[in-house]
Amino acid sequence: MATQALTTTVRRRGRALAGTGGRTAALFLVPFFAVFAIAMIAPVIYSLVLSFHSQQKSGLGFGEAKTVFVGLENYVQVFQSETFVEGIARLGLYCLIYIPCMVGGAVVFALLLDATVAKARKLFQLLVFLPHAVPGVIAALIWAYLYTPGISPLIQALQGGGIQINFLDAHLVLPSIVNIGVWEWTGYNVIILFTALQAVPREILEAARVDGAGEIRAAISIKFPLILPALSVIMLFTIIGTLQLFTEPSIISKATASVTSTWVPNLWAYDAAFIRHNLNQAAAASIIIAGLAAVLSLAVTRLSSRMNKS
Amino acid sequence: MKRRHLFAGVAGLAASTLLLAACGTGPTPAAAPTPTEDPSGSITFWSSLAGMDKVAEAFNASQDKIKVSFETIPNGANGGYAKLSTAITAGNGPDVATIEYPQLPQFVSNSQVIPLDGLINKAETVEKLTDETKALVQFGEKTYALPYDAAPMLMWYRQDMLAKAGVEVPKTWDEFEQAGKKLKAVAPDSYLASFNPNEVAASAGLAWQAGAKWFGTEGDSWKVGVNDEATQKVASYWQKLIDQKIVKVSQAYSDEWSLDLANSNVVGVLGANWSATGIQKRTEASGQKGQWIAAELPTWGNESGAFYGGSSFNVTKSSKNPAAAAKFVEFLTTSQEAIKARGNTGSAFLAFPGLTPVAQKAYDASYFGNDIYEVFTKAYGTITPGWQWGPNWDITNTALKDAYGKLTTGGTIHDAVDTAQDATVASLKQAGLSVKE
Repeated sequence: MATQALTTTVRRRGRALAGTGGRTAALFLVPFFAVFAIAMIAPVIYSLVLSFHSQQKSGLGFGEAKTVFVGLENYVQVFQSETFVEGIARLGLYCLIYIPCMVGGAVVFALLLDATVAKARKLFQLLVFLPHAVPGVIAALIWAYLYTPGISPLIQALQGGGIQINFLDAHLVLPSIVNIGVWEWTGYNVIILFTALQAVPREILEAARVDGAGEIRAAISIKFPLILPALSVIMLFTIIGTLQLFTEPSIISKATASVTSTWVPNLWAYDAAFIRHNLNQAAAASIIIAGLAAVLSLAVTRLSSRMNKS
Repeated sequence: MKRRHLFAGVAGLAASTLLLAACGTGPTPAAAPTPTEDPSGSITFWSSLAGMDKVAEAFNASQDKIKVSFETIPNGANGGYAKLSTAITAGNGPDVATIEYPQLPQFVSNSQVIPLDGLINKAETVEKLTDETKALVQFGEKTYALPYDAAPMLMWYRQDMLAKAGVEVPKTWDEFEQAGKKLKAVAPDSYLASFNPNEVAASAGLAWQAGAKWFGTEGDSWKVGVNDEATQKVASYWQKLIDQKIVKVSQAYSDEWSLDLANSNVVGVLGANWSATGIQKRTEASGQKGQWIAAELPTWGNESGAFYGGSSFNVTKSSKNPAAAAKFVEFLTTSQEAIKARGNTGSAFLAFPGLTPVAQKAYDASYFGNDIYEVFTKAYGTITPGWQWGPNWDITNTALKDAYGKLTTGGTIHDAVDTAQDATVASLKQAGLSVKE
């Protein structure tokens, strides 16, 4: 009797515990999934639906538009658009300059920080991070000011040294915008890498030192390989972030005609939605950008997991 | 007369489509009241124009049936139209909106504003306007807005710099070029004016003055002529000015542009009546008081002009109280009280007869070296008839603005207008509209 009672209570307790666990988990998860569904899944589905339809008018266009199902036509139009393809190419070029500069800079800064004496470390950490504390729009406005001929103290100083330069002309405007990104994001990534460096076991470093490795050798051969996982996370965020490039070019476009209204894919989508009033095409473009981000993220995670294994 | 003819034509051919449009457009056709009804209730009003908050207050104080709540929105260049259009589509737009003339047809075409016929007292409002201003707000036989200002395009000059160059105020574009050359001779670093890639409406105005027709209708089709013959003439002329460094390519209202005016690098502004405040603000601190004068645009031979900018007030599709909204629109555009309440916000030149003197009284024009209102009035009398804005100005606007981006790296205005023509035609066709080139 007694044992039977005991086992049932145990069983009951066990069941009860499992039940509460599920309920508690649900309680904690529901808010997330609710918001996720409303703010993420629903818009994506809505965009998908939009992207397969088109608002068609006829004649002079002064009538109510008809919504018709057009299949993939919007996607075809987006890919056929010279400006969209140009935007993708430009974004590719942007990545080619931006990622090595920013990530390379962040690695070097982080390794340097890790090698400095403890006191100065805190100060440099703050200084390096400071640009990131400036909101993106403000940063772009400040740089627009620094780039504008005639009012920029930077250009004036360069002129004083005999260098004539227009940061905003059609050739230089891309590197100029890369520079804003590098300025803004390097410090942020330095902090991530620096945190990873803190986790490098000290005994390994000591062993390396005993074996006669100097600071530089230790940084390259020991620390760098050990922060590779953090580096791959950075790459992932950076690639997704770059695909969303919008703020900087849209602010700079106010100061120069070199940045067109369809300069990068996101601007293209904005232009389609709010200037050309073609929401369907904008939806298709957005889905393409999202798809591109998904493919690239997958590639990066695959690559980094392979690197980590080897 | 010619003008009226054209619009009668448009009206005729578009009648069937418009009839359809009217049915689809009205928010609640059953609720369409007659102007004799006495509307009441609360309405919202969006505008980017300065001083409109005061006008709304004055209206609220003048009667107690309709209550207007005002909200400032960004101007068109800063996303104001994107906001307005999205809000109307989503059904939470304002009752009364402010839309500039070039953008109005696209709001009409997207059924985002409703016809005011039946809501306003036409005899006391539209019927009193000139044909040129009426043409800006009427499509087919319907009135979609009441015009606020009628902004004649002008050229503003520094008279001291013209005197220094030994030239009179240029009467023709030929004289303008000569004046530019003479200015270069005495002040090699100075430009007579600037060419603003971001002000496509100014390019349109110049083409308009020369007799170009960027948009028109032919049967049930749009006819697009962004690179028509008259425009080509204007394009070659301005390209010549750019090549000779008589005008400087710079973004209007940018820091660079402002500094050029303050430093006398640029001594003229291609603008309109509303440019006065901007010029004063940017040059006052540099001691240029009394030096700036307004002048009619140089011409191609015979008297001609164009509108550059200007806004209209509209009742949107999302309005739940169109009758009250229309009442307020009438107040905004025809009442002297409205103009008085706005105060000294700029050198307004208004479409409705009898209002401009009120605006003139409110504006302190002592900064300028001549009677600017006299020039406004003259320029207003010379608008070239026959111009029409297209069904989606923003497409042409951005296409041309983008193409102008290449001006500093070897591109020409010619190429730019060709690109803009192609982009406009392609986009309109994509929307299913019938287009002829």
